[in-house]
Parts: sequence; structure tokens; C-alpha cells
Amino acid sequence: MNGAILSDRIQFALTVMFHYLFPIGTMGLAPFIAWYTVSGTRARDANALASAEFLGKIFALNFAVGVVSGIPLEFQFGTNWAAFSVKAGSVVGQPLALEGIYAFFFESVFLGVFLYGRRRVSARFYAFSAIALWLGSWLSGFFIVATNAWMQHPVGYHFAANGRIEIASLRTVLLSPFAFWQYAHVITGALLAGAFVVAGIGSYYLLGRRNEIFGQRFVRVGVIVGFAASLIAIFPTGDRNANEVTRNQPVKFAAMEGIFKTQRGAPEAIIGMPDTQHGRLIDPVYVPDLLSYLAYGNFRASVKGLDSYPADLHPPVELTYYAYHVMVGLGTLFALLAGIATYLLLRRKLYAARWMLWILMLAMPFPYIANEAGWIASEVGRQPWIVYGLLRTSASASPTVVAGETVFTTIGFAGVYFVLGVLFLLLVLREISLGPVERTA
Amino acid sequence: MNTAAFTLLAVFLGAYVVLDGYDLGVGAMHLLLPRSDDERATSLATIGPFWNGNEVWIIAAGGVLFALFPQAYAAAFSGFYLPLTIGLWLLMGRGMALELRGHFANDLWHDFWDVTFAACSTMLALVFGVALGNVVRGVPLDSNGYFTGTFASLLNWYAILVGLFALGALALHGLTFAAWRSAVLATDHAQRLLQYLWIAVLALFAATTWATLRVHPPTIGPILWMAPAAALCALFTVRFARNRALRFAASSVFLAALMIAAAATIYPYVLPSYPVGSGGLTIYDASAGVHGLFAGTVVFAIGFCIVAVYGTLSARSMLRKSDSLDGPSTGAG
Repeated sequence: MNGAILSDRIQFALTVMFHYLFPIGTMGLAPFIAWYTVSGTRARDANALASAEFLGKIFALNFAVGVVSGIPLEFQFGTNWAAFSVKAGSVVGQPLALEGIYAFFFESVFLGVFLYGRRRVSARFYAFSAIALWLGSWLSGFFIVATNAWMQHPVGYHFAANGRIEIASLRTVLLSPFAFWQYAHVITGALLAGAFVVAGIGSYYLLGRRNEIFGQRFVRVGVIVGFAASLIAIFPTGDRNANEVTRNQPVKFAAMEGIFKTQRGAPEAIIGMPDTQHGRLIDPVYVPDLLSYLAYGNFRASVKGLDSYPADLHPPVELTYYAYHVMVGLGTLFALLAGIATYLLLRRKLYAARWMLWILMLAMPFPYIANEAGWIASEVGRQPWIVYGLLRTSASASPTVVAGETVFTTIGFAGVYFVLGVLFLLLVLREISLGPVERTA
Repeated sequence: MNTAAFTLLAVFLGAYVVLDGYDLGVGAMHLLLPRSDDERATSLATIGPFWNGNEVWIIAAGGVLFALFPQAYAAAFSGFYLPLTIGLWLLMGRGMALELRGHFANDLWHDFWDVTFAACSTMLALVFGVALGNVVRGVPLDSNGYFTGTFASLLNWYAILVGLFALGALALHGLTFAAWRSAVLATDHAQRLLQYLWIAVLALFAATTWATLRVHPPTIGPILWMAPAAALCALFTVRFARNRALRFAASSVFLAALMIAAAATIYPYVLPSYPVGSGGLTIYDASAGVHGLFAGTVVFAIGFCIVAVYGTLSARSMLRKSDSLDGPSTGAG
């Protein structure tokens, strides 16, 4: 095993988790920008266009930091994970290159039009650029998730004579059901986060009794979309995604749910702390038989526990378990919260319900936590494999790069990202405090 | 098929050099050409809508290399570990400078990002040149195709020469772009800078051509003399043409011809081994396999055409009103 593997893994975790905060922002905000731009253009509603422009500024900041923090990821496959790239690059490189060529160009070209073109291009083309931004960001997400889905559940490949994994069908790789459900869940998560950001900013304005026209718009749209997204995140996307994992990665499933022993009528652990030494949960709260039902649609179905698999195929149980439970727990709370807010909205009480606006404002960061936690469960749960069942993480790092180099660059990335993060927060908070520019049409 | 894939890769890289080249060049000249705060803001506004799209070309080129020649991607990127990582930090610093400078109307804030932008752009041009120099010269590879040299071995005289040449050529490219896009910058000062820089680039071009013939014994082929000849013609057009748009076009042709010459020099290797003649990774043994190469080349080539069409169309619609230099709606400009 390569001595640099630990810092390689820490570096990738650090860079990918930092990076992912920003695509959540772009994929989550893009639909709102498109909606405001198109409806504002059609109805000649100056305030809708001002809303789009305001969210566009936040989008642009997310996009800029997303780009600069995303480029290192593509390069890291070569710099830090050269053995993986040699072995699996024939497959993994395809969707990554497609992302650059088919989605990223689209997004960045039309972002340029959207930000700079308000007075340079026709109103129609301007509205189109907002839709293109949405399409581009969501397509970009698809190719990246398809890459990851292949690493979770490899399909459409064959082994070449030299032992490398070669792509046999690009279609199979892109259109696998695993990729579809994973993508659907990921994009719903981003939409949920975007909706909570919009509702949170709106609540901030209403609570401060400023920009109230925009505050009401943002709260209304954010709450409705947030409620819908929180339901879709649970069913069908979350449920189908979990089914794919149950079927294709049963060890990960057992670790996520904290099931140590194979059993009929497996219970769903709501809380509890995994104790890997004795193979049990400490202080658990169970719903009896529920897990068997969720996994197989049958309360008496047998669920395989970690004891069914050799220990060297177990992922790190604690992290996988907690990350999964944080995601599911928060997801349930989001549905509840957005549900109550929607009820208040329909009763026309929401804008005056300061307690609810406070909750909505403070809830802003939590969908980000849920999104990141979901990825931790997915990625840590995939261990010890980098490509599930085909290639181990431990055999994937660059053979010529030593720990001294990767520790150095990891520290460097941490420093650069700290500065980036501070600058980003400074500028986003500034944009929010400046607020949208009200127009009298 | 392997040759087609190699050509496609060269096209993506060439597009990157020509397109991001001008905004890198504008960056390298950022402290020299525009001299007041307003002029610097104007200069940045000329590349504002485009630099991001331009930079996508390196992401796309990296993806194409990864997908079509994974082994070369792995060997080159892990071999150039430190310079590449530092290059990434420079790209990040540059992107931040471009995006953030306009957010506060404050000289302190502007100074900081102006210097960051200029320094990162200059060093990036050097780093890219040094990397290209090493690829042309070849790098020490072991029998598994992994890099066996050190960071210091990448800083050989040939690579440094190519690095300086790249810096000069991109600065010239940026200068022709700035002079074309902005009347504010088309001053006598700019003309003088252009003259000096042009002489330096001509001298570096001659030196690099000579050096390349030394480190890489010439292979016979029409492209190998046609491309440098085209580059030379283009370089003279840059200096003597009257039309500013034509100058920029000629500068683009100059860079493209150089990239063609570089690609033709190393072909059929993707990553030659040093010393020359000791083999290396060819377009056959580094490739992604039959289906990968075929599907990738076809799908990426189609994508390239689509991008070329809408990229050109939207660039034209954005350039129409070039002189009303309204900054991005994100900032004060």
C-alpha cells in the first residue's frame, strides 16, 4: 500500500466536499432564476426581473468559486490517483469529458450572456440564456453523478488483455438505472437547498422589515418548491436510490442502517450509536420490522447484516451510519417544516408568523449539511472499493507521488479554500444585505 | 482512429491556447499596459464575459486526454505533480481576481486583485510553457509508463526557453486583443509595447525553433516545416497589418500553428520518453480501447462543433456593442 494514500484520501474529501457546496448553490438557484427571468420577461414584471438579477449575482458567486474549486478535482484523478486513472480512465474519463464539452461550455457561455448581456442582447435571447443556465447546470450535474454512479455500480465495461477496465458501451454507462436514481436524488437535494436559500433570504427581509415585496415573493416560492422537493427527496428518489443500494451494495446498506446481524423482520434504527467492537447499536430506538419493509416491501423479509460479509469488505461503519442518519433525519425535518410553512402560506398567515420566518431563516444551512452527509454516506460506504467490486482504493493512488508531496498540497488546498470560503461568505452576505433593486415599472 | 483521437486532443488544446491565451496575455500585461485604475477596469471588462468560457477549454481538453489516453493523462499529471498543483492554485487566484475585483469600489481592493491577476497570469503562462516544453522534449518514464524524474529535472534549459517563449507569445496575443477590443488601450504606449514585445517574440521563436531541432531530431513530414512557416507569416502580419482585428486573428493563427508544430513533433507519441528515441507512450499503448476511442472521438468531435457554433454566435452577439463597456451586473466594473 502506498504511504500517501491517507493524505490522498483526506485531500480528495476536503476538495470535493468544499467544491460541492457551490454546485448545490448553482443547481439549486438556476431554476428560480430561469423562472423569474421568463415570467418577468413575459409579464413585463420589472420586479421579477430584479429578483432574477439579484439571485443571478448569488449564482455568479457560487459559479465562480465552483469553477475554481472544481478544476482541481478533474486534475486530481491524474495527479493523486494515477493508478485508478490508468485502470479505469477509459470509462471514467468519458462522462467527465462529456461534462466539460456538452454542459460546462453551455453553462459558462450563457452565464456570460446573462451577466453581461442585459443591455447587449434582445429580451428574448436574454430569457433564453437564463433557461440555458438552468439546463447547463443540471446537465453538468448529470454527467458528474453518472461518473460516480459507475464507480458505485460499474456497468457497460469489459477487461482488456492488459487488465485495464475498458468501456464497452457508453450508453449503458450513462443510462444505468443506478445513475438515474442517484441523479434524481442529488438534483432534488440541490433544489431543496436552493429553495431553502430563497425562502431564508426572503424571511430575512421580512423579519428586518425591508425589501418586503421581494421578501414575500422569495418566501412564497421558496416554501412551495421546498415542500415539493422535500417530499420528492423522500419518495420516489430517496426510496428508489436506497433500493438500488440494497440490491447492488448490500454491505453499504447494512452499514448505513447499522444492521450488524442478518435477521428476519429487521428493525429501522431511528437513533443509536454503533459499537463495532461488539457488533451492536448502543441505546437504539427501533421501529420493529420497518427496515425489512422499506428494503423489500415485506415486514418479514430477511436483511443481511455486516456479519454476512468478511471484515475486510466492511466500510468504516460509524461514519457511514452517522452520515446516512443525519441525511435522513434532516430530510424528514425539512418535509415537516416546509409542510407547516406551506399550510401557513395557504391560510395567508405566513408573512406575519415571525416565529416561522425565524425558523426558515435559520434553516438555510441545514440542507447543505444534508447534501454533504448524503455524499459521505455514499462515498465512505463504498469503501474499501474505489470502483465497486473491481478496484480497491488502496491500489489506486499515484505510485510515483509520495506522502511528503500530498501532505504539502493538502495543506496548501486547505489554506486556499479557507481564504476562498471567507471571501465567498463576505461577498454573498454583502449581496444579500444590498438586496434586489426595486423598480417602478 | 488513434490518429483522429490525437488530432482531436490537439484541437482542444490548441483552442485553449488561442482562446484562454488572450485573457492570460491580458493578465500578463495587466500592470504594464493599462496604467490607471479606470483603464484596468476597462481592460478587465473586455475579457469579463469570455474568460470563463475560454477556461472551460482546458477542462474539456483535460477530459478528452483522460477519456482517450488515460495512461498518458495519469503519467503526465502524476509526473508533473507539484507544478500542476501550483498551476491549479494560480488558476484559482486568477479566477478570484477576475470575479472579485469589481465588488468593491475601493483602490486598496483593486490594487490587491490587480497584482494577483497579473502575477498569476504571468506565472501560469510560464508554467504552461514549461510543461509543453517538457512534453516535446520527453520526460523520463519507467517501464510501466510512470514518470521517474524530479521536479528539478522539469526545469531544464529547453523547457525554460519554451516557458519564456510562451509568456512572450501570450503577452503579445493579449496585447493585440486589448488593442482591438478597447480604444482606450490603443495608444502610442500600446504601440511601443507591441513593438518591443514583437522583437522579443521573434527572437524567442528563432531560439525555440533552433533548440527544438537540437533536442528533437527532425522527422520528415510536410507539417513540420509548413506549420512554422505559417507561424512566421502570421507573426509578421501581427506586426505590420493595419487592421486591429486582423492583427488579433494573425496572432491566433501564430499560436495555432505553433501548437500544430508541437503536436506534429511528438506524434505518434502522446508522451515521449526522454532521451528522445527511448520510446514513450504512443497513441496506441496509452489509448482507452476500441469502443472508448471510437465513441469518445465521435461524440467529442460533435460536441466541439456544437460548442464552436453557439460559442461564436453568442460571442458575436456580445461583441456587437463592444464599446459601451458596461461591466457585469455583479459589480461596479
